[in-house]
Amino acid sequence: MNIYRVTKVINQVLIYVFVILAVILSLFPIVYLLITSFKPPELTFAIPPVWFFEPTLKNYYEVFAGGKFVKYFLNSLIVALGTTLVALLLGIFAGYGFARFRFRGVQTLRLAALVPQMLPPITIIVPLYVLFNSLNLIDTRWALLISYLTFIIPLSIWMMTGFFMDVPEELEESAMIDGCTRLGALFRISLPIVTPGLAATAILGFIYAWNEFLYAVILTGRDARTLPVTITSFMTNKAILWGRIAASGSLVLVPVLIFALLAQRYLVRGLSRGAIKG
Amino acid sequence: MRRYEPVFYIAPAFIVLAIILFYPLGYSLYLSFHNWTLRDFRQGVPFVGLKQYINLFSNPEFLNAIRITFIFVIAAIVLEFILGMALALLLNHDLKGKGIIRSFILLPMMCTNVVVGLTWRLLLNYDYGLVNYLLSVVGLPRLEWLSKPALAMPAVIMVDVWNTTSFVALLLLAGLQALPDEPYEAARIDGASWWQQFRYLTLPLLRQTILVALLWRFIDTFRIFDVVYLLTAGGPARATETVSIYVYRYGFQSFNLSFASAASYIMILIMLVIAAVLARLIGRQD
Repeated sequence: MNIYRVTKVINQVLIYVFVILAVILSLFPIVYLLITSFKPPELTFAIPPVWFFEPTLKNYYEVFAGGKFVKYFLNSLIVALGTTLVALLLGIFAGYGFARFRFRGVQTLRLAALVPQMLPPITIIVPLYVLFNSLNLIDTRWALLISYLTFIIPLSIWMMTGFFMDVPEELEESAMIDGCTRLGALFRISLPIVTPGLAATAILGFIYAWNEFLYAVILTGRDARTLPVTITSFMTNKAILWGRIAASGSLVLVPVLIFALLAQRYLVRGLSRGAIKG
Repeated sequence: MRRYEPVFYIAPAFIVLAIILFYPLGYSLYLSFHNWTLRDFRQGVPFVGLKQYINLFSNPEFLNAIRITFIFVIAAIVLEFILGMALALLLNHDLKGKGIIRSFILLPMMCTNVVVGLTWRLLLNYDYGLVNYLLSVVGLPRLEWLSKPALAMPAVIMVDVWNTTSFVALLLLAGLQALPDEPYEAARIDGASWWQQFRYLTLPLLRQTILVALLWRFIDTFRIFDVVYLLTAGGPARATETVSIYVYRYGFQSFNLSFASAASYIMILIMLVIAAVLARLIGRQD
Protein backbone atom coordinates (compact mmCIF):
# COMPACT_ATOMS: atom_id res chain seq x y z
CA MET A 1 0.00 0.00 0.00
CA ASN A 2 2.76 2.42 0.97
CA ILE A 3 4.87 1.57 -2.06
CA TYR A 4 1.82 2.20 -4.21
CA ARG A 5 1.39 5.65 -2.67
CA VAL A 6 5.08 6.49 -3.02
CA THR A 7 5.11 5.64 -6.73
CA LYS A 8 1.98 7.70 -7.14
CA VAL A 9 3.63 10.73 -5.55
CA ILE A 10 6.77 10.27 -7.64
CA ASN A 11 4.60 10.03 -10.76
CA GLN A 12 2.84 13.27 -9.84
CA VAL A 13 6.15 15.05 -9.24
CA LEU A 14 7.57 13.81 -12.55
CA ILE A 15 4.50 15.01 -14.44
CA TYR A 16 4.87 18.48 -12.94
CA VAL A 17 8.62 18.53 -13.67
CA PHE A 18 8.07 17.75 -17.36
CA VAL A 19 5.16 20.14 -17.72
CA ILE A 20 7.13 22.97 -16.12
CA LEU A 21 10.07 22.15 -18.39
CA ALA A 22 7.76 22.42 -21.42
CA VAL A 23 6.45 25.77 -20.17
CA ILE A 24 9.99 27.10 -19.65
CA LEU A 25 11.09 25.95 -23.11
CA SER A 26 8.01 27.55 -24.66
CA LEU A 27 8.46 30.89 -22.93
CA PHE A 28 12.22 31.22 -22.80
CA PRO A 29 12.93 32.57 -26.33
CA ILE A 30 10.11 35.11 -25.93
CA VAL A 31 11.39 36.25 -22.55
CA TYR A 32 14.95 36.38 -23.88
CA LEU A 33 13.83 38.70 -26.69
CA LEU A 34 12.07 40.99 -24.20
CA ILE A 35 15.15 41.07 -21.94
CA THR A 36 17.44 41.82 -24.89
CA SER A 37 15.22 44.73 -25.92
CA PHE A 38 15.87 46.45 -22.57
CA LYS A 39 19.62 45.73 -22.49
CA PRO A 40 22.12 48.54 -22.95
CA PRO A 41 23.74 48.01 -26.38
CA GLU A 42 27.17 47.21 -24.94
CA LEU A 43 25.70 44.20 -23.11
CA THR A 44 23.75 42.72 -26.04
CA PHE A 45 26.58 40.44 -27.07
CA ALA A 46 28.19 39.87 -23.67
CA ILE A 47 29.19 36.22 -23.17
CA PRO A 48 28.54 34.89 -20.59
CA PRO A 49 25.19 36.66 -20.87
CA VAL A 50 24.44 39.38 -18.31
CA TRP A 51 21.06 38.82 -16.64
CA PHE A 52 21.06 41.73 -14.23
CA PHE A 53 21.50 45.21 -15.62
CA GLU A 54 19.90 48.60 -15.48
CA PRO A 55 17.10 48.42 -18.08
CA THR A 56 17.17 51.11 -20.74
CA LEU A 57 14.70 52.29 -23.37
CA LYS A 58 17.52 53.23 -25.75
CA ASN A 59 16.64 50.52 -28.29
CA TYR A 60 13.02 51.64 -28.28
CA TYR A 61 14.00 55.30 -28.82
CA GLU A 62 16.08 54.24 -31.82
CA VAL A 63 13.21 52.23 -33.28
CA PHE A 64 10.91 55.25 -33.09
CA ALA A 65 13.56 57.71 -34.32
CA GLY A 66 12.61 59.15 -37.71
CA GLY A 67 8.88 58.70 -37.11
CA LYS A 68 8.48 55.96 -39.72
CA PHE A 69 7.72 53.26 -37.18
CA VAL A 70 4.41 54.87 -36.17
CA LYS A 71 3.34 55.00 -39.82
CA TYR A 72 4.18 51.33 -40.34
CA PHE A 73 2.43 50.46 -37.09
CA LEU A 74 -0.71 52.15 -38.42
CA ASN A 75 -0.38 50.24 -41.72
CA SER A 76 -0.29 46.96 -39.83
CA LEU A 77 -3.21 47.95 -37.64
CA ILE A 78 -5.43 49.21 -40.48
CA VAL A 79 -4.76 46.23 -42.74
CA ALA A 80 -5.28 43.70 -39.96
CA LEU A 81 -8.49 45.36 -38.70
CA GLY A 82 -9.89 45.86 -42.21
CA THR A 83 -9.18 42.28 -43.26
CA THR A 84 -10.69 40.89 -40.08
CA LEU A 85 -13.84 42.98 -40.43
CA VAL A 86 -14.55 41.98 -44.03
CA ALA A 87 -13.69 38.32 -43.45
CA LEU A 88 -15.84 38.21 -40.33
CA LEU A 89 -18.87 39.61 -42.10
CA LEU A 90 -18.60 37.11 -44.96
CA GLY A 91 -17.75 34.35 -42.49
CA ILE A 92 -20.84 34.98 -40.35
CA PHE A 93 -23.16 34.52 -43.33
CA ALA A 94 -21.35 31.62 -44.96
CA GLY A 95 -20.75 29.89 -41.62
CA TYR A 96 -24.40 30.27 -40.71
CA GLY A 97 -25.43 28.95 -44.12
CA PHE A 98 -23.22 25.87 -43.77
CA ALA A 99 -24.46 25.21 -40.24
CA ARG A 100 -28.17 25.51 -41.00
CA PHE A 101 -28.95 24.42 -44.54
CA ARG A 102 -28.92 20.88 -45.83
CA PHE A 103 -28.69 20.69 -49.60
CA ARG A 104 -26.88 18.58 -52.14
CA GLY A 105 -23.16 19.25 -52.30
CA VAL A 106 -23.02 21.19 -49.02
CA GLN A 107 -20.10 19.08 -47.78
CA THR A 108 -18.20 19.57 -51.01
CA LEU A 109 -18.72 23.33 -50.81
CA ARG A 110 -17.52 23.40 -47.21
CA LEU A 111 -14.35 21.62 -48.20
CA ALA A 112 -13.94 23.86 -51.26
CA ALA A 113 -13.98 26.87 -48.93
CA LEU A 114 -10.99 25.36 -47.14
CA VAL A 115 -8.86 24.81 -50.24
CA PRO A 116 -7.62 28.42 -50.42
CA GLN A 117 -6.16 28.00 -46.96
CA MET A 118 -4.27 24.92 -48.10
CA LEU A 119 -2.61 26.61 -51.04
CA PRO A 120 0.95 27.70 -50.27
CA PRO A 121 1.02 31.54 -50.15
CA ILE A 122 4.00 31.68 -52.51
CA THR A 123 1.85 30.14 -55.25
CA ILE A 124 -0.87 32.77 -54.77
CA ILE A 125 1.43 35.75 -54.57
CA VAL A 126 2.94 35.19 -58.03
CA PRO A 127 -0.29 35.92 -59.96
CA LEU A 128 -1.49 38.47 -57.39
CA TYR A 129 1.74 40.38 -57.89
CA VAL A 130 1.16 40.57 -61.66
CA LEU A 131 -2.46 41.59 -61.07
CA PHE A 132 -1.64 44.33 -58.55
CA ASN A 133 1.16 45.51 -60.80
CA SER A 134 -1.24 46.06 -63.69
CA LEU A 135 -3.78 47.76 -61.39
CA ASN A 136 -1.10 50.04 -59.91
CA LEU A 137 -1.83 48.71 -56.45
CA ILE A 138 1.72 47.70 -55.51
CA ASP A 139 2.78 49.32 -52.24
CA THR A 140 -0.77 50.15 -51.15
CA ARG A 141 -2.75 48.87 -48.17
CA TRP A 142 -5.43 47.66 -50.62
CA ALA A 143 -3.05 45.09 -52.08
CA LEU A 144 -2.37 43.70 -48.61
CA LEU A 145 -6.02 43.73 -47.59
CA ILE A 146 -7.07 41.83 -50.70
CA SER A 147 -4.31 39.26 -50.46
CA TYR A 148 -4.92 38.66 -46.74
CA LEU A 149 -8.58 37.98 -47.44
CA THR A 150 -7.52 34.91 -49.44
CA PHE A 151 -6.65 33.08 -46.21
CA ILE A 152 -8.70 34.89 -43.56
CA ILE A 153 -12.09 34.40 -45.25
CA PRO A 154 -11.65 30.58 -45.27
CA LEU A 155 -10.48 30.71 -41.65
CA SER A 156 -13.50 32.66 -40.52
CA ILE A 157 -15.96 30.47 -42.48
CA TRP A 158 -14.38 27.37 -40.93
CA MET A 159 -14.53 28.67 -37.37
CA MET A 160 -17.97 30.33 -37.58
CA THR A 161 -19.55 27.17 -39.07
CA GLY A 162 -18.42 25.26 -36.00
CA PHE A 163 -19.67 27.85 -33.55
CA PHE A 164 -23.09 28.14 -35.23
CA MET A 165 -23.45 24.35 -35.24
CA ASP A 166 -23.33 24.45 -31.44
CA VAL A 167 -26.40 26.71 -31.26
CA PRO A 168 -29.54 24.57 -30.97
CA GLU A 169 -31.72 25.07 -34.02
CA GLU A 170 -34.89 24.96 -31.88
CA LEU A 171 -34.10 28.38 -30.41
CA GLU A 172 -34.32 29.96 -33.85
CA GLU A 173 -37.33 27.91 -34.86
CA SER A 174 -39.39 29.15 -31.93
CA ALA A 175 -38.39 32.72 -32.75
CA MET A 176 -39.40 32.21 -36.38
CA ILE A 177 -42.78 30.80 -35.35
CA ASP A 178 -43.27 34.04 -33.42
CA GLY A 179 -42.89 35.91 -36.70
CA CYS A 180 -39.15 36.55 -36.80
CA THR A 181 -37.47 36.21 -40.22
CA ARG A 182 -34.51 33.89 -40.56
CA LEU A 183 -32.17 36.82 -40.91
CA GLY A 184 -33.72 38.32 -37.79
CA ALA A 185 -33.28 35.03 -35.94
CA LEU A 186 -29.62 34.93 -36.99
CA PHE A 187 -28.92 38.41 -35.65
CA ARG A 188 -31.22 38.42 -32.60
CA ILE A 189 -30.90 34.84 -31.39
CA SER A 190 -27.82 33.04 -32.71
CA LEU A 191 -25.26 35.78 -33.09
CA PRO A 192 -25.49 36.91 -29.43
CA ILE A 193 -25.00 33.29 -28.35
CA VAL A 194 -21.85 32.83 -30.46
CA THR A 195 -20.29 36.15 -29.40
CA PRO A 196 -17.32 34.43 -27.68
CA GLY A 197 -16.72 32.41 -30.84
CA LEU A 198 -17.03 35.54 -32.92
CA ALA A 199 -14.43 37.23 -30.73
CA ALA A 200 -12.09 34.25 -31.02
CA THR A 201 -12.46 34.24 -34.81
CA ALA A 202 -11.78 37.97 -34.94
CA ILE A 203 -8.72 37.64 -32.72
CA LEU A 204 -7.28 34.75 -34.72
CA GLY A 205 -7.90 36.57 -38.00
CA PHE A 206 -6.29 39.71 -36.63
CA ILE A 207 -3.23 37.79 -35.39
CA TYR A 208 -2.77 36.01 -38.74
CA ALA A 209 -2.96 39.29 -40.66
CA TRP A 210 -0.76 41.10 -38.13
CA ASN A 211 1.91 38.37 -38.33
CA GLU A 212 1.93 37.97 -42.11
CA PHE A 213 5.27 38.48 -43.81
CA LEU A 214 5.58 36.93 -47.29
CA TYR A 215 2.85 38.98 -49.02
CA ALA A 216 3.95 42.13 -47.22
CA VAL A 217 7.61 41.84 -48.18
CA ILE A 218 6.72 41.32 -51.85
CA LEU A 219 3.84 43.76 -52.20
CA THR A 220 5.02 46.75 -50.19
CA GLY A 221 7.80 49.29 -50.45
CA ARG A 222 8.23 52.49 -48.48
CA ASP A 223 4.56 53.42 -48.12
CA ALA A 224 2.44 50.42 -47.19
CA ARG A 225 5.14 48.53 -45.29
CA THR A 226 3.91 46.59 -42.25
CA LEU A 227 5.68 45.88 -38.97
CA PRO A 228 7.07 42.40 -39.71
CA VAL A 229 8.81 43.84 -42.78
CA THR A 230 9.99 46.82 -40.74
CA ILE A 231 11.69 44.51 -38.25
CA THR A 232 13.73 42.92 -41.03
CA SER A 233 14.83 46.38 -42.19
CA PHE A 234 17.07 46.46 -39.11
CA MET A 235 19.17 43.79 -40.80
CA THR A 236 21.32 46.12 -42.87
CA ASN A 237 24.15 45.29 -45.25
CA LYS A 238 26.70 46.35 -42.66
CA ALA A 239 25.33 44.83 -39.51
CA ILE A 240 22.33 43.21 -37.88
CA LEU A 241 21.08 45.73 -35.33
CA TRP A 242 19.99 43.21 -32.71
CA GLY A 243 18.96 45.79 -30.11
CA ARG A 244 16.51 47.42 -32.48
CA ILE A 245 15.27 44.06 -33.76
CA ALA A 246 14.59 42.98 -30.18
CA ALA A 247 12.76 46.22 -29.37
CA SER A 248 10.62 46.29 -32.51
CA GLY A 249 10.06 42.54 -32.27
CA SER A 250 8.78 42.93 -28.72
CA LEU A 251 6.43 45.72 -29.79
CA VAL A 252 4.97 43.47 -32.52
CA LEU A 253 4.71 40.50 -30.20
CA VAL A 254 3.08 42.11 -27.16
CA PRO A 255 -0.41 42.68 -28.64
CA VAL A 256 -0.37 39.16 -30.10
CA LEU A 257 0.53 37.61 -26.76
CA ILE A 258 -2.14 39.60 -24.89
CA PHE A 259 -4.82 38.65 -27.42
CA ALA A 260 -3.78 35.01 -27.44
CA LEU A 261 -3.92 34.83 -23.64
CA LEU A 262 -7.33 36.53 -23.52
CA ALA A 263 -8.94 34.25 -26.08
CA GLN A 264 -6.97 31.10 -25.24
CA ARG A 265 -9.95 28.94 -24.29
CA TYR A 266 -11.95 29.72 -27.40
CA LEU A 267 -8.97 29.57 -29.74
CA VAL A 268 -8.21 26.02 -28.71
CA ARG A 269 -11.86 25.09 -28.96
CA GLY A 270 -12.28 26.68 -32.36
CA LEU A 271 -9.14 25.11 -33.75
CA SER A 272 -9.73 21.66 -32.33
CA ARG A 273 -13.43 21.38 -33.10
CA GLY A 274 -12.72 20.18 -36.62
CA ALA A 275 -10.24 17.67 -35.30
CA ILE A 276 -12.82 15.90 -33.17
CA LYS A 277 -15.86 16.17 -35.36
CA GLY A 278 -13.88 15.53 -38.55
CA MET B 1 -37.82 31.32 -53.24
CA ARG B 2 -37.02 29.14 -50.20
CA ARG B 3 -34.85 26.89 -52.36
CA TYR B 4 -32.49 29.74 -53.04
CA GLU B 5 -32.20 30.86 -49.43
CA PRO B 6 -28.80 29.17 -48.83
CA VAL B 7 -27.37 31.03 -51.83
CA PHE B 8 -27.98 34.35 -50.11
CA TYR B 9 -25.86 33.27 -47.14
CA ILE B 10 -23.08 31.33 -48.80
CA ALA B 11 -22.61 33.02 -52.16
CA PRO B 12 -21.03 36.35 -51.07
CA ALA B 13 -17.98 34.69 -49.53
CA PHE B 14 -17.53 32.46 -52.56
CA ILE B 15 -17.89 35.33 -55.02
CA VAL B 16 -15.19 37.30 -53.19
CA LEU B 17 -12.92 34.26 -53.03
CA ALA B 18 -13.47 33.55 -56.72
CA ILE B 19 -12.50 37.08 -57.71
CA ILE B 20 -9.43 37.40 -55.51
CA LEU B 21 -8.25 33.82 -55.82
CA PHE B 22 -9.47 31.74 -58.71
CA TYR B 23 -8.96 34.44 -61.27
CA PRO B 24 -5.31 35.01 -60.26
CA LEU B 25 -4.69 31.27 -60.09
CA GLY B 26 -6.11 30.86 -63.58
CA TYR B 27 -3.86 33.63 -64.71
CA SER B 28 -0.78 31.96 -63.29
CA LEU B 29 -1.75 28.72 -65.03
CA TYR B 30 -1.80 30.76 -68.24
CA LEU B 31 1.56 32.29 -67.34
CA SER B 32 3.13 28.88 -66.80
CA PHE B 33 2.53 28.02 -70.48
CA HIS B 34 3.93 31.33 -71.69
CA ASN B 35 7.14 33.22 -71.36
CA TRP B 36 6.58 36.26 -69.17
CA THR B 37 9.43 38.07 -67.52
CA LEU B 38 9.16 41.51 -66.01
CA ARG B 39 12.01 42.69 -68.21
CA ASP B 40 10.40 42.15 -71.60
CA PHE B 41 6.66 41.77 -71.09
CA ARG B 42 5.96 44.75 -73.32
CA GLN B 43 6.89 42.74 -76.38
CA GLY B 44 4.01 40.36 -75.61
CA VAL B 45 4.01 36.97 -73.98
CA PRO B 46 4.89 34.17 -76.39
CA PHE B 47 3.24 30.78 -75.92
CA VAL B 48 5.88 28.20 -75.10
CA GLY B 49 3.77 25.14 -74.26
CA LEU B 50 5.34 22.87 -71.70
CA LYS B 51 8.79 24.41 -71.98
CA GLN B 52 8.72 25.95 -68.48
CA TYR B 53 7.76 22.60 -66.96
CA ILE B 54 10.45 20.75 -68.91
CA ASN B 55 13.05 23.29 -67.83
CA LEU B 56 11.84 22.94 -64.27
CA PHE B 57 12.38 19.21 -64.10
CA SER B 58 15.79 19.43 -65.71
CA ASN B 59 16.79 22.03 -63.14
CA PRO B 60 18.76 20.24 -60.40
CA GLU B 61 18.08 23.10 -57.97
CA PHE B 62 14.34 22.49 -58.25
CA LEU B 63 14.73 18.79 -57.57
CA ASN B 64 16.97 19.73 -54.65
CA ALA B 65 14.30 22.08 -53.31
CA ILE B 66 11.69 19.30 -53.43
CA ARG B 67 14.05 16.91 -51.66
CA ILE B 68 14.91 19.51 -49.00
CA THR B 69 11.24 20.29 -48.45
CA PHE B 70 10.32 16.65 -47.88
CA ILE B 71 13.24 16.09 -45.51
CA PHE B 72 12.01 19.07 -43.51
CA VAL B 73 8.33 18.07 -43.65
CA ILE B 74 8.94 14.50 -42.52
CA ALA B 75 11.51 15.23 -39.80
CA ALA B 76 9.56 18.15 -38.36
CA ILE B 77 6.23 16.31 -38.33
CA VAL B 78 7.66 13.15 -36.76
CA LEU B 79 9.31 15.14 -33.96
CA GLU B 80 6.27 17.34 -33.41
CA PHE B 81 3.97 14.34 -33.09
CA ILE B 82 6.21 12.46 -30.67
CA LEU B 83 6.72 15.51 -28.47
CA GLY B 84 3.16 16.76 -28.97
CA MET B 85 1.67 13.41 -27.94
CA ALA B 86 3.91 13.27 -24.87
CA LEU B 87 2.89 16.79 -23.91
CA ALA B 88 -0.81 16.08 -24.52
CA LEU B 89 -0.66 12.96 -22.31
CA LEU B 90 1.03 15.00 -19.56
CA LEU B 91 -1.53 17.78 -19.78
CA ASN B 92 -4.39 15.28 -19.70
CA HIS B 93 -3.70 14.71 -15.98
CA ASP B 94 -5.58 16.69 -13.39
CA LEU B 95 -2.99 19.45 -12.91
CA LYS B 96 -3.11 22.54 -10.74
CA GLY B 97 -3.04 25.71 -12.84
CA LYS B 98 -4.14 23.84 -15.96
CA GLY B 99 -5.51 26.94 -17.66
CA ILE B 100 -2.40 29.04 -17.20
CA ILE B 101 -0.12 26.17 -18.29
CA ARG B 102 -2.14 25.71 -21.46
CA SER B 103 -2.02 29.45 -22.15
CA PHE B 104 1.77 29.55 -21.85
CA ILE B 105 2.23 26.53 -24.06
CA LEU B 106 -0.04 28.09 -26.68
CA LEU B 107 2.14 31.19 -27.03
CA PRO B 108 4.89 29.92 -29.41
CA MET B 109 2.37 29.06 -32.13
CA MET B 110 0.87 32.56 -31.99
CA CYS B 111 4.21 34.37 -32.27
CA THR B 112 5.00 36.41 -35.38
CA ASN B 113 7.11 34.20 -37.64
CA VAL B 114 9.55 36.99 -38.39
CA VAL B 115 10.19 37.45 -34.69
CA VAL B 116 10.56 33.68 -34.19
CA GLY B 117 13.10 33.42 -37.02
CA LEU B 118 15.16 36.38 -35.86
CA THR B 119 15.07 35.48 -32.16
CA TRP B 120 16.39 32.01 -32.95
CA ARG B 121 18.96 33.46 -35.31
CA LEU B 122 20.25 35.41 -32.32
CA LEU B 123 20.04 32.42 -29.98
CA LEU B 124 21.89 30.21 -32.50
CA ASN B 125 24.59 32.75 -33.37
CA TYR B 126 28.05 31.15 -33.34
CA ASP B 127 29.85 33.86 -31.35
CA TYR B 128 27.28 35.34 -29.00
CA GLY B 129 24.29 33.00 -29.16
CA LEU B 130 22.91 31.55 -25.97
CA VAL B 131 22.70 28.00 -27.32
CA ASN B 132 26.44 27.82 -27.96
CA TYR B 133 27.10 29.42 -24.58
CA LEU B 134 25.04 26.69 -22.88
CA LEU B 135 26.91 24.04 -24.88
CA SER B 136 30.25 25.47 -23.74
CA VAL B 137 29.06 25.58 -20.12
CA VAL B 138 28.47 21.82 -20.13
CA GLY B 139 31.81 21.27 -21.88
CA LEU B 140 30.56 20.63 -25.42
CA PRO B 141 32.07 22.33 -28.48
CA ARG B 142 30.30 25.33 -29.95
CA LEU B 143 28.53 24.61 -33.23
CA GLU B 144 28.15 26.62 -36.44
CA TRP B 145 24.39 26.07 -36.47
CA LEU B 146 23.44 28.33 -39.35
CA SER B 147 26.59 28.31 -41.50
CA LYS B 148 27.35 24.58 -41.78
CA PRO B 149 25.13 22.81 -44.37
CA ALA B 150 24.89 19.69 -42.21
CA LEU B 151 23.63 21.66 -39.21
CA ALA B 152 21.40 24.27 -40.87
CA MET B 153 18.56 21.84 -41.59
CA PRO B 154 18.50 20.42 -38.04
CA ALA B 155 18.44 24.03 -36.78
CA VAL B 156 15.46 24.91 -38.99
CA ILE B 157 13.65 21.74 -37.87
CA MET B 158 14.38 22.54 -34.22
CA VAL B 159 12.89 26.03 -34.55
CA ASP B 160 9.77 24.66 -36.24
CA VAL B 161 9.41 22.08 -33.48
CA TRP B 162 9.61 24.89 -30.91
CA ASN B 163 7.09 26.90 -32.89
CA THR B 164 4.35 24.33 -33.50
CA THR B 165 4.62 21.36 -31.15
CA SER B 166 2.08 23.14 -28.97
CA PHE B 167 -0.43 23.13 -31.85
CA VAL B 168 -0.17 19.36 -32.16
CA ALA B 169 -0.27 18.94 -28.39
CA LEU B 170 -3.39 21.08 -27.92
CA LEU B 171 -5.26 19.34 -30.76
CA LEU B 172 -4.36 15.90 -29.39
CA LEU B 173 -5.28 17.04 -25.87
CA ALA B 174 -8.72 18.09 -27.05
CA GLY B 175 -9.06 14.66 -28.65
CA LEU B 176 -7.92 12.89 -25.47
CA GLN B 177 -10.44 14.75 -23.36
CA ALA B 178 -13.27 13.63 -25.63
CA LEU B 179 -12.39 9.92 -25.25
CA PRO B 180 -14.90 7.66 -23.45
CA ASP B 181 -13.92 6.18 -20.05
CA GLU B 182 -15.48 2.72 -20.35
CA PRO B 183 -12.88 1.01 -22.58
CA TYR B 184 -10.13 2.09 -20.19
CA GLU B 185 -11.98 0.74 -17.16
CA ALA B 186 -12.46 -2.57 -18.93
CA ALA B 187 -8.79 -2.63 -19.92
CA ARG B 188 -7.65 -1.94 -16.34
CA ILE B 189 -9.83 -4.77 -15.05
CA ASP B 190 -8.21 -7.05 -17.62
CA GLY B 191 -4.79 -5.91 -16.29
CA ALA B 192 -3.63 -4.09 -19.41
CA SER B 193 -0.37 -2.18 -18.96
CA TRP B 194 -0.02 1.56 -19.60
CA TRP B 195 1.64 0.88 -22.94
CA GLN B 196 -1.01 -1.62 -24.00
CA GLN B 197 -3.76 0.88 -23.18
CA PHE B 198 -1.95 3.56 -25.18
CA ARG B 199 -1.19 1.30 -28.13
CA TYR B 200 -4.51 -0.55 -28.41
CA LEU B 201 -6.98 2.03 -27.09
CA THR B 202 -5.70 5.60 -27.20
CA LEU B 203 -4.02 5.51 -30.62
CA PRO B 204 -6.92 3.85 -32.48
CA LEU B 205 -9.52 6.01 -30.73
CA LEU B 206 -7.54 9.15 -31.56
CA ARG B 207 -7.12 8.16 -35.21
CA GLN B 208 -9.38 10.92 -36.51
CA THR B 209 -7.75 13.67 -34.42
CA ILE B 210 -4.27 12.48 -35.35
CA LEU B 211 -5.08 12.51 -39.06
CA VAL B 212 -6.58 16.00 -38.93
CA ALA B 213 -3.54 17.31 -37.03
CA LEU B 214 -1.33 15.56 -39.57
CA LEU B 215 -3.17 17.21 -42.46
CA TRP B 216 -2.78 20.68 -40.94
CA ARG B 217 0.87 20.12 -40.11
CA PHE B 218 1.57 18.85 -43.63
CA ILE B 219 -0.07 21.90 -45.21
CA ASP B 220 1.87 24.17 -42.89
CA THR B 221 5.33 22.60 -43.13
CA PHE B 222 5.15 22.07 -46.89
CA ARG B 223 4.76 25.82 -47.46
CA ILE B 224 7.37 26.98 -44.94
CA PHE B 225 8.93 30.30 -45.89
CA ASP B 226 9.20 32.98 -43.18
CA VAL B 227 11.26 31.18 -40.57
CA VAL B 228 13.67 29.68 -43.11
CA TYR B 229 14.01 32.99 -44.94
CA LEU B 230 15.03 34.76 -41.74
CA LEU B 231 17.16 32.01 -40.23
CA THR B 232 19.21 30.95 -43.25
CA ALA B 233 17.57 32.46 -46.37
CA GLY B 234 17.81 28.97 -47.87
CA GLY B 235 21.56 28.69 -47.35
CA PRO B 236 24.25 27.69 -46.74
CA ALA B 237 24.78 26.26 -50.24
CA ARG B 238 20.99 25.72 -50.68
CA ALA B 239 20.99 23.24 -47.79
CA THR B 240 17.71 24.70 -46.51
CA GLU B 241 16.21 25.96 -49.78
CA THR B 242 12.62 24.76 -49.60
CA VAL B 243 10.28 25.00 -52.61
CA SER B 244 8.74 28.26 -51.32
CA ILE B 245 12.18 29.88 -51.07
CA TYR B 246 13.05 28.53 -54.52
CA VAL B 247 9.90 30.02 -56.10
CA TYR B 248 10.58 33.29 -54.30
CA ARG B 249 14.10 33.41 -55.72
CA TYR B 250 12.97 32.84 -59.30
CA GLY B 251 9.81 34.92 -59.09
CA PHE B 252 10.90 37.93 -57.11
CA GLN B 253 14.67 38.09 -57.39
CA SER B 254 15.10 37.06 -61.05
CA PHE B 255 11.51 38.14 -61.90
CA ASN B 256 10.93 35.13 -64.10
CA LEU B 257 7.26 34.88 -63.23
CA SER B 258 6.39 32.26 -65.84
CA PHE B 259 9.01 29.89 -64.51
CA ALA B 260 7.88 30.66 -60.95
CA SER B 261 4.25 29.97 -61.96
CA ALA B 262 5.19 26.57 -63.36
CA ALA B 263 7.03 25.75 -60.12
CA SER B 264 3.98 26.97 -58.16
CA TYR B 265 1.71 24.62 -60.04
CA ILE B 266 3.94 21.62 -59.37
CA MET B 267 3.88 22.65 -55.72
CA ILE B 268 0.08 22.93 -55.68
CA LEU B 269 -0.21 19.55 -57.40
CA ILE B 270 2.00 17.78 -54.85
CA MET B 271 0.11 19.48 -52.03
CA LEU B 272 -3.34 18.60 -53.33
CA VAL B 273 -2.44 14.94 -53.98
CA ILE B 274 -1.10 14.42 -50.46
CA ALA B 275 -3.90 16.45 -48.85
CA ALA B 276 -6.49 14.43 -50.80
CA VAL B 277 -4.98 11.16 -49.60
CA LEU B 278 -5.06 12.39 -46.00
CA ALA B 279 -8.60 13.76 -46.38
CA ARG B 280 -9.75 10.38 -47.71
CA LEU B 281 -8.21 8.62 -44.73
CA ILE B 282 -10.00 11.08 -42.45
CA GLY B 283 -13.33 10.47 -44.16
CA ARG B 284 -13.02 6.69 -43.93
CA GLN B 285 -14.25 5.31 -40.60
CA ASP B 286 -11.47 2.90 -39.46
